[in-house]
Amino acid sequence: MRHTIISTTLTLVISASLSAPIAAEPTAEDAYEYRESIMTALKGPAGAISRQARGLAGDSDYVANHAKAIANLGTELHTIFVEGSNVEGSEAMPAIWDEPEKFAEALANAEEAMAALGQVADGGDMEAIGNAFMNVGEACKGCHDSFREDSEH
Amino acid sequence: MCIGRLSIATLLLLIAMPASAEDASIARGEYLINAGGCVDCHTEDSDDAIPLTGGRAVESPFGTFYSPNITPDVETGIGAWSDDDFVSAFWEGEDPNGDHYYPAFPYTSYTGVSREDLLAMQAYLFSLDPIDKTTPEHELAWYISTRLAAGAWKMKNFDSERFVPDPDQPEQWNRGAYLVRHLGHCGECHTPRSSLGALQYDQELAGNVSGSDGEKIPNITPDRKDGIGKWSASDIEYFLQIGMLPDGDFVGSDMSAVIDHNTSKLTKEDRLAIAAYLKATPPLSSPD
Repeated sequence: MRHTIISTTLTLVISASLSAPIAAEPTAEDAYEYRESIMTALKGPAGAISRQARGLAGDSDYVANHAKAIANLGTELHTIFVEGSNVEGSEAMPAIWDEPEKFAEALANAEEAMAALGQVADGGDMEAIGNAFMNVGEACKGCHDSFREDSEH
Repeated sequence: MCIGRLSIATLLLLIAMPASAEDASIARGEYLINAGGCVDCHTEDSDDAIPLTGGRAVESPFGTFYSPNITPDVETGIGAWSDDDFVSAFWEGEDPNGDHYYPAFPYTSYTGVSREDLLAMQAYLFSLDPIDKTTPEHELAWYISTRLAAGAWKMKNFDSERFVPDPDQPEQWNRGAYLVRHLGHCGECHTPRSSLGALQYDQELAGNVSGSDGEKIPNITPDRKDGIGKWSASDIEYFLQIGMLPDGDFVGSDMSAVIDHNTSKLTKEDRLAIAAYLKATPPLSSPD
């Protein structure tokens, strides 16, 4: 009997400890970390496309995959700027939430440019991909200029 | 008859030539105005600002400077300036009345720019519509609030000196040196300053921990740890064109505006010249 009680209690404790974090609401810190993950993920294919556009990536024909990766990540951008997620260490500026219309426009520019990059990806036309990537860069830079606190660059 | 025709043709040519030469000078001037980064500082930081009409606030440890209107309006701009007035502003750091400019106007770098380039820049500015706009007075700490203070600063920290190409260096290096050290005045932000605002040339381009607007300005010497030693010439050129860092991030900050108004408008050859010069500078650690 005693054994049963202990095991039942243990089962309850274990299942509670497993399910609790999953059920919990994401914190501001979580939202910040998720944004960082998406932004970090964008840097890889961006750096890679720029090298391919400059002829610095050998014979790789992987460029369409990089372009699609950016286009896919671009569809997630509108979810990652959760209000209150400018926790310590975050470079997100309050203007993101203070000037929502201006920010929405900047974000829409980035999403459109990234989608357009995805659309030219399959053609394999390096010049078209390079130009579409330039537009993506312009949108990224424009948004960072107004809405990211750059401490180093 | 034949001579008559020739004379008319010659006359037409003579009339046409100065106009096209002037157009060429204006076009060259526009390019140089972009290379000189003039638009960024001389345009207010708002979406509807008219370029080059001044009024942009530049925060510094000594107070707030407001850039002047440099459109050719006679009353509020530079419309009444002679060629020599224009050149003297850049070479000597003096306005047409002989008053000293504060070094927020980077004549410490511009002093190396050639007279020919300056007059092309002036020709372009004078081709613009004159805009009547009075800009605010500077708001400065009391101890530098008179132009005499600017004069004293210049005596100690400024030499009027043109750029002289180094015959031992390739042409590309010399072009890069001219753009980086003089016209593009990169060191005005990227070189640390003394407590009195003097550029520390022994740490040229090694970064500035307290740049204008409180920004930390990066080291752009080829030091691999503190600077951009891991960047290739292509990385630098590409960055100056679209603002991408080698790791795939895109720049924000004041450099974003420099890229928009200045370096993205240069020829690839000029951006590569900047890259070649930067890669040939001594690698330096960042100041503390």
